[in-house]
Order: sequence, then structure tokens, then C-alpha cells
Amino acid sequence: MGRVISLLKVEKVTVKYGVIPAVQELELEVARGQIVALLGANGAGKTTTLKTIVGVLRPARGRIFYDGKDITSLPAPQRVRLGIALVPEGRGIFNRLTVRENLLLGAYHRRDQGGVLQDLEEVYRLFPRLKERENQIAGTLSGGEQQMLAIGRGLMSRPRLVLLDEPSLGLAPLVVRELYTLIRRIRESGVTILLVEQSAPMAIGVADYVYVLETGMVKIAGTPREVESLEEVKKVYLGG
Amino acid sequence: MKRRIPQELWFVVGGLVLFGALFVAEKTLNRYLLHILILMGIYSIATVSLNLTNGYTGLFSLGHAAFMAIGAYTSTLLTFPVSLREAYDLPRLPWFLGGPNAAWSFFPALLAGGALASCAALLIGAPVLRLRGHYLSVASLGFMVIVVTFAKTLKSVTRGPMGISAIPLYTNVYWTFLWLFIAVYVVWRIVNSRFGRALMALREDETAAQVLGIYPMKYKLFAFVVGAFFAGVAGGLYAHLTKAIRPFEFSFTLTFQIVVMLIVGGMGTMSGPVVGVVLLLALRYALKPLEEHLKLYGLIELIYALLLIVVMLWKPEGLVGRKRVSARGRREREEEGEWARFSILK
Amino acid sequence: MFSLSYFLQQSMNGVILGCIYALLALGMTVVYGILRLINFAHGALITLGAFFMYFVFFRFGLPFVAALFLVLGFGGVMGLVLDLVAYRKLRGGPEVALLITSLGFYTFIENLTKLIVSPQPYAFKTPEFLATLYRTPYLTFRTVDVFIILSSLLIMLAFHLFVKRTKLGIAMRATAENLEIANLMGIEVNRVISVAFVLGSAIAAFTGFLWGAKYGQISYDMGFLTGVKAFVAVVVGGVGSIPGAMLGGFVLGLAEVLSIAVLPTRFAEYRDGIVFAILILVLLIRPSGIMGIREEVRV
Repeated sequence: MGRVISLLKVEKVTVKYGVIPAVQELELEVARGQIVALLGANGAGKTTTLKTIVGVLRPARGRIFYDGKDITSLPAPQRVRLGIALVPEGRGIFNRLTVRENLLLGAYHRRDQGGVLQDLEEVYRLFPRLKERENQIAGTLSGGEQQMLAIGRGLMSRPRLVLLDEPSLGLAPLVVRELYTLIRRIRESGVTILLVEQSAPMAIGVADYVYVLETGMVKIAGTPREVESLEEVKKVYLGG
Repeated sequence: MKRRIPQELWFVVGGLVLFGALFVAEKTLNRYLLHILILMGIYSIATVSLNLTNGYTGLFSLGHAAFMAIGAYTSTLLTFPVSLREAYDLPRLPWFLGGPNAAWSFFPALLAGGALASCAALLIGAPVLRLRGHYLSVASLGFMVIVVTFAKTLKSVTRGPMGISAIPLYTNVYWTFLWLFIAVYVVWRIVNSRFGRALMALREDETAAQVLGIYPMKYKLFAFVVGAFFAGVAGGLYAHLTKAIRPFEFSFTLTFQIVVMLIVGGMGTMSGPVVGVVLLLALRYALKPLEEHLKLYGLIELIYALLLIVVMLWKPEGLVGRKRVSARGRREREEEGEWARFSILK
Repeated sequence: MFSLSYFLQQSMNGVILGCIYALLALGMTVVYGILRLINFAHGALITLGAFFMYFVFFRFGLPFVAALFLVLGFGGVMGLVLDLVAYRKLRGGPEVALLITSLGFYTFIENLTKLIVSPQPYAFKTPEFLATLYRTPYLTFRTVDVFIILSSLLIMLAFHLFVKRTKLGIAMRATAENLEIANLMGIEVNRVISVAFVLGSAIAAFTGFLWGAKYGQISYDMGFLTGVKAFVAVVVGGVGSIPGAMLGGFVLGLAEVLSIAVLPTRFAEYRDGIVFAILILVLLIRPSGIMGIREEVRV
């Protein structure tokens, strides 16, 4: 039949906060090795979606499939073990721990001590500045370095799917460009990425597929070129 | 505006009924039961006043017993008969309080006790009420320890650990319930005013309240001071009922009992405190013979603690209260800045 | 009045009290760091540990080391019970609810002890092999004093290593810093919390034994003020900092003993008042304590 099973499939998922639905009947798919961008204004439900995928929030309705398996009722620690890693909004690093401790925590679920140390070296190769600051307290790093730390920590769990929540938030443009080069490199190493951003241009530039959320539902979906040419997108997200 | 009048009418009617009932009670009940009734009144005053600070304003003070202690000692030192002062090593009153041959009468002494407690509340409130939630609790607990320590050590004034006995028996049902009536009325008036709504807004979300133009300190201090006043009065009534007071009586155990009564009855409701008091004191006196004869010391406190645990785990709004819908959903709490959790000051 | 030996003697007493406070503060701060819960029931574990040791070692005559391990285990189990039965249900609710409930549990345990064991204090004999007296020109001390200091340091060191070097320990620090993010990363937060309770409670129970061995008397109400003072130590040392808690314990112990030693004897009863005066001062002047986290850390 030829249809490849996508790595992630979110099927008609509804997530509620109390009685208010934050995400309604959401459907999206991420194919292996892709970078998929999830765009939308504040409050559109992007972070909620990521939290539901990683298992911290439970959907009221709908199902989530990962690598063909239904993981809807799986608790977060187990999803992490299966290879899903979330890099939270605002970095979400532990400011009072050292860089190294933060990174090691990313590998919390892994049992292979040797593999963990190997991956640590890999992350240091990817982010040489983290190696320099290995024993520094994470809170003293610059914004960009903290973002690298957050991504590095996510990579330490040897994920197959990385969920990035607004990685460019609060970073200088130069740093953001560096960041996106990095994101491409991560994809090249075989990791699938679901990227949430408010700032559309950079995300669209790197993505293979784009979803735009509005009030908890998918409003627009398509390849970057398709999406870019839409009038609405041009006006709202790309500034004309 | 017309609606208001009937409610206050209730107070008048209620008051008349109450005093009628008390009259009957005084004539018919034996001394033991009367004693319990008066104690219920006194504890109710303490609990109702705690309700103002804890229940309606959300300041979880654990130092209430300290105010009762201040009220008890103050009123006692004022009313103590002149002829006995020498024998009991108590100082005579200084010139500005009436001179060496003076002893105050009951009502003014109670007022003075309450007033002094209020002053203490003002003094301690300014620094302590700025603190967050449980820091406030521990600081107020600390304050209570400090007060009790002074009571134990300022022997020239308080007679130290031996305490003061032979206090004149001035308390009766009428005085007690008059003060309870006043306390309930005052709390009711505060709660049902704009001021009261401001207090409750503070309780729910201090930041939001500030945005509405409410200066937290002014309101919190007011509630705290009023609460302390009535606690002081309750302390004075207590001293003149039991005729003897000692420092250790005003320890944490007393605060705990009042807290349990308040919570089991229902914090933040008007009738909750009294319900809690009646229930728990009735329980205490029903079980007292058991505890004493079987030498099961600690049984009553144990049951109190158990009740508190059960209520907190399964019906935290108390017997009378209704479940409050939490204004802040889980999501908001998640998104709240993490540093807010560590700040001691609000 | 103030000879060198008097000063040294009192300093030693202060250090010993400080060790006890430091151990208690340690247990309190991990739980507080994660749950924002002032666990008043922590104090109850001191009482339980002391009485448990009394019965197991003196009455039933078990060998010392075995008894110690049993006390640790007993404390740990009690802590776990508290976590599972009480606090787990209240998580996510208002902080004050946890505080009130912990007060309820403290009072429950205190009165249960009073009821089941005795309202009268028990004399706790220092075990013979710890009772040897040593007289030096400047200092008089017993083996138990050395034991307390050494065992406390050992426990603190072990704890420090646990929290710095082991995966679970680092996870505990992370959870204490930010529970939500730890959860997002897939750390089993509930398990971390349970471990925190178990460790803290085991240490608290052990402290009960230390207290009995040093001061010779245990009673059903011995845990209350000590437990609250442990929290004072946490505040003094700096909320959110584990080394801070230990430092706070020492500072408080020394302050309590030395201030009484220095003041005329009639001030001896002010001891508890002084501790709480220190608390109020710290909260007003330097709320973040000695080593507390400072708000300027970048987020």
C-alpha cells in the first residue's frame, strides 16, 4: 500500500482545562526524519499539544500514536523511555544545578552508563560552549547557552522525536540563526522534530510541513510553500 | 438598601431570644453544665475572631493563644482585689491606672485586655503579615512562644510558671454571651461590607486584589487587630471564669483546639465556628470522665486531631461550609513563575 | 564567670545541639523544597524514634547496631505512610491545607504516644559504651557527645554525596527546584517525593535517639518545639539550599546555647523565645537566609 507509518500521529485529540477546551479535535502527523512546524498565536494551544504528546496532560478524547503504538494512556516517564523528549518553553532548565547535572538528568531513564557518557561527549561536540561551562551553575549561562543546554538535555535521552517549544523565545537574532542551524543538524542525525514557534519565518524556513493552530484547532496545514503563499499567513504571521 | 433592615432585625430578635434562653438556662442548669455553656461562649468568641483573620482574610495565624494570654493577664492584673495583692506577690496598680488602692471593674478590664492584645497585634502584625502563607503561620507561632516565655519569666508581673490564682469570679453567662453577640455582630458587619469583600478578595488572590486598588497591609492589619481584640476579651473572660491562669495553658494546645473547632465547623462561614465549638466541647465533656477514670490521658486531643485530619482530607470546607470553586485553575498554577514559590515575601 | 573552659564547654554543647538541628533541618528542607510543606509531623518522628529505640534497645535488649537500623527503618516507614496517606491527597491544593494537616498529624502522633506509652517522661539512659566520661583541662565530655558529632557528620556527608552524585539525588534537587519541569522531563516525581520523605523521616527518628542519649529524658511532647526549630534552622540557613539547612542548624544550635550561656542565669527560660526572635529577625531582615537562593538568578 505504500503509506509509511508516521512516527507521530495525533488523532482527534481534545484536551480540557476544567471545562474549557484548550485543544479540540486536533489532528496532526509527523513523518520520520521530518521537521514539522506548529505555529499559532499565544493561547492557540501549541504548548498544550506538546504537553499532551509527552504525557503530562491527558486528552479527554482522541488518541495518540507513536511509531504505530497507541500511547494515549502511557504515563510520561514511559513515553520518554520510548524516545519522546520535550524541550519546554522558556528553556526549562534547572538553574541551580550545573550544566553537567542538567545534561545527565536528561538521561535519567537510561540504564546504559557507558552510552550515556558517550552521548554526553556527543552533546559537547555539538555544543562546545557547554563543555567549557560544564561545572558552572546553569542559571549563570546566557539565554542562548541555556537554550543549547535545554536542547542538549533533550538529546541526552537518545530521543527519536524531539518536541521543541518556542526555542527562539527571548534570543537575539544572531543566536536564533545559530540555533536553527543546529536544529537542521539534529535532523540530519536522524531525529524527528516537532517545532512550536510563534515567530513564523524561521520556522517555516526550516520545516518540511507546517500546521497553524487557532483556538485549539488546526486552521491551516501544508508544505511551507503552500502555507507561505496564503494571504492570511502572509498578513498575520509574516507581516505582509 | 431596604433589604438590609430585616437582617439587622434578626440580630435584635435573635439577641432577645438568646438572652431569654440564657435566663432560663441560668435558673435551671446545674453549675457544671452552666460552666460548660459559658466555656462554649468563650471558645466561640475566640473561634469567631480567628475566623475573621484565618477564614475571611486567609491569614493563617497560629498565635491566637498569645492574644488570649495577653487579655487574660491584663484584665486579671487590673481587677485583682487590692487586699490580696500583697499576699499573692502581685504589683499594685501605678498612678495612671488608678493608683495602689484601685481595682478595676470587669467590663473596663476586659476592654483593656482586648485593647492591649490589639496593640500587640498591631506591633507584631506590621512585620509578620507581610510574609507569605506558612511563613506567617510559623512566625505567629513563634510570637506566641515568645509571649508565653515572657509570661513564664516576668515573675514580678505574672508570677511566672505558678500563674495567678484567686481571680474574682466575674464571668457569667450574660457577660460571655453579650461579648459573643458583639463579636458575631462585628464580624458580620465587616464581612458583609465592601471592606469584607476586599478581605475576601485578598484571601483569594493578593496580586489581583492589589490591581483592584486594595492595599493589602491596611486590610490585613485591620482584620488581624480586630481578631486579636476579641481574643483578648475571650482570654479575660476565661481568666475570670476559671479563677486561675498559668502560662502553659496558653500554649499551642489552646491554639490547636481553636483551629480544630474552626476548621471542623467551617472556616469562612458565619455559623461554622460556633458549630465547631459546640460539637467539640460537647465531645470533650462527654469523654472527659472516660479519660480520667480509665487514665487514658491524651484521648480527647487525639480525637480532635483525628477529626482535623479527616476533615482536611475529605471535607476541608468543614461541616457548614460549601466547596469553594477554586478561582485559579491548574493551568494558571502551572504557568506561574517558579520563583514565586520560593519568595517568602509576597 | 567566663573562663575559656566554660566557653568551650558551651560551644561544644551548642555544636551538639546544632548537629541535631542540622540533621532535622536536612530532612525538612528536602520535603519543603519539593512540596512547600512545613512538615510539623517531622517533629513527631523524633518522639517516635526516641521511644522506639527505648523499647527496642532497653526493654527488648536488641544489640545496638541492630536497634539503630530498626529505628531508621521504622522512621522511614512512618514517613512513607505519612506521604501516601496524607500528603499525596492534598498535593496541588493550597499550601496552608498541607500545613494544617501536618499539624493534625503531629498532634495525633503526640497524643497517641501519650496515650499508649505514658504522659510522664521516661528516663533514657545513655548506653553504657557511650557513657564514658573524659576530663580534659578545658573540656569535659562523654563518648556520646563524640558519637553525636561523628554520626551527624557522617549522615550529612552521605546525604551530600547522595544528592550530588546519584541520579536519584540529582533528580531530587531538580524536583525541589521545579516540580513541573521535572515532571515534564518524565522524572517520576511521586517516587522522588516518597524517597525524600523516607530519608528525612529516618534521619528524624535517629535524631530522637540522639536526643534521648544526650539529654537523658524523652517525653511525648519532646518533638514539637524541636521540630519547629528545625524549620527555623531551614529559614536561617536559606530556604531551598541543602547545605544552607545544615549550616542553619549549626548556627541556630550555637546561637541558642551560647546566648543562654552568656546571659545571666535567670534568662535561661528565654531559650525558646530567643530562637523564635531569631526567626522573626531573619524573616524581616534577610528572608533568603544565609545561603538562600537569590532572586536575581536568570530564568
